[in-house]
Amino acid sequence: MATASTTGDARPILDQIATTDRRRRISWRLWFSATWVALVGSLLFALWITGNIQLDFIAEWSPFILQGTTTTIILSVVSMVLATILALIGAVSRLSSNPVINGAASLYVSLVRGTPLLIQIFFIFFALPQLGIVLPALPAGIIALGFNYGAYMTEIFRAGIQAVAPGQREAAEALGMPERLVMRRVVLPQAVRIVIPAIGNDFVAMIKDSALVSTIAVQELLWRARSAGTQEFRTLEALLIAALAYWVLTIIFSFFQERLERRMARGDR
Amino acid sequence: MQNLRRLAVLPIAMLILAACQSGTSGESGDPTAEPSASHDMESMAPSDGGGANISNLVCVGEATTYLDWLEGDLELAEADPIEEPADSDDDLLDTIMERGEIVVSTDPNYAPQSFLEPDGSFVGFDIDVATEIANRLGVDIRFETPEWDAITAGSWSERWDISVGSMTITEDRKGILSFTQPYYYTPAQVAVSERSGITSLEDLPFDLPEGAEATTLPTDANCAESIQAGRSEFDVWISSSTTVEGAIEAGSPVIAVGDPVFGEPLAVAIDKSGPPHDELLYEIDRIIGEMHEDGTLTSLSEEWFDGLDLTKVADAN
Repeated sequence: MATASTTGDARPILDQIATTDRRRRISWRLWFSATWVALVGSLLFALWITGNIQLDFIAEWSPFILQGTTTTIILSVVSMVLATILALIGAVSRLSSNPVINGAASLYVSLVRGTPLLIQIFFIFFALPQLGIVLPALPAGIIALGFNYGAYMTEIFRAGIQAVAPGQREAAEALGMPERLVMRRVVLPQAVRIVIPAIGNDFVAMIKDSALVSTIAVQELLWRARSAGTQEFRTLEALLIAALAYWVLTIIFSFFQERLERRMARGDR
Repeated sequence: MQNLRRLAVLPIAMLILAACQSGTSGESGDPTAEPSASHDMESMAPSDGGGANISNLVCVGEATTYLDWLEGDLELAEADPIEEPADSDDDLLDTIMERGEIVVSTDPNYAPQSFLEPDGSFVGFDIDVATEIANRLGVDIRFETPEWDAITAGSWSERWDISVGSMTITEDRKGILSFTQPYYYTPAQVAVSERSGITSLEDLPFDLPEGAEATTLPTDANCAESIQAGRSEFDVWISSSTTVEGAIEAGSPVIAVGDPVFGEPLAVAIDKSGPPHDELLYEIDRIIGEMHEDGTLTSLSEEWFDGLDLTKVADAN
């Protein structure tokens, strides 16, 4: 009787707590979004007032500039695939006990991380032809970005592999699995889950670094913005369009990355 | 919740700030007034337009003859005479004919010689001349857009076949590039920003070119862009008269001052480090001669340069 009345009394209170909780969450989100809208709105408003913004230019040239988004996405995605392949090979090599393989992978990482990405882009586009290797602008950009990010991601992958509990490997070996199979079936799948957030970060950075290849006349977002803006003497508008495009791209990507991370985290429970 | 309410003051404060800004710029009475940054610049400039505060920096495009001229080592040259070459099978001309396409380098930002349309295509005087050359060769045309200094530096690595980019023939360039006869001539023009208050070359507080110091931006039009944006490092700019006119027409706050300082012969160039190209050079030179004679170049020049015929040797200098 006593217990029944307690639960009977407690339920509405619990319900009430749940409702206030929900309300508070909704109100929090509302305020959060309102802050964004207000800040972005006032920023644009301030620009509009002080910047002598020409809507005609935006209407006429934004399609041309935004077409560069396709090139930017292709550039980033293909470079990322290349970087992932290089990083997988690099990471496994960095953990190898063979001094030649390990040395080569270490040199790759050190060399690429020790020189500016812009020099690497120029080197592949302008300097390699002197050695008889002539690459068109887009492949040159993809190789430069992929090569560069491959080195950074090598270290991420290596850390990910090392973060897999040693017991996992030992257990697999005890079952008589050959070394390669241990790596492929036991260690790497777990390592991938660990490195996903870091890789996602790198991809966001890659989208933005892809702007550097505008220097070798790849007609991506920034190149188009600079060309149109300089020619029409509307630099502010042109750069604004390109910047917004990069921003939207990273927002969209971050949204999917968050979902992927949540999915991958399920196994940790 | 209370904290959040207090936080919300922030965007509102920003809005008020922005509104205040609109109030101050509204005082000038003209909504299309210059960006506010230029107000400061105006107040700093001497009111009598004496130009005492004008810096001696002169803006020019990278790897241009204007830079050479400022630095005192411009050596204009004439194209070497071109003789009919012996027939060979490995000439660049044969490659182009086989490919059915000629690749031409162009600057996407050099109005009215070459500039972009919103659909991404190129238009302009150089573009029309290049297209006409391709037509008369009987091949299609494709444009590449490398940086200007990459074109004048040679070593094109066969990324493009020829430059139809208003390139001045100079002694230095002749070392690495082969030139056809000039297809037109432009005068080099000095321009100053409107805010400087200068109206003639005599107003400049320094002599050109001796007293000036060159500062470079990737391409000529970037100088006008920089002045337009309200940057104040320099007020003087040298480029071809056509580019200066183009910038003025586009609404850039610059004016042309004085007579042209020198005239430039502009020609089609081919990279000497590339494959043999004697036949291609001869053929293009012949086509340009033809275009001079039949009036094609004159009518293109009049179309793009406000009725001016720039295809005859410039009188300047």
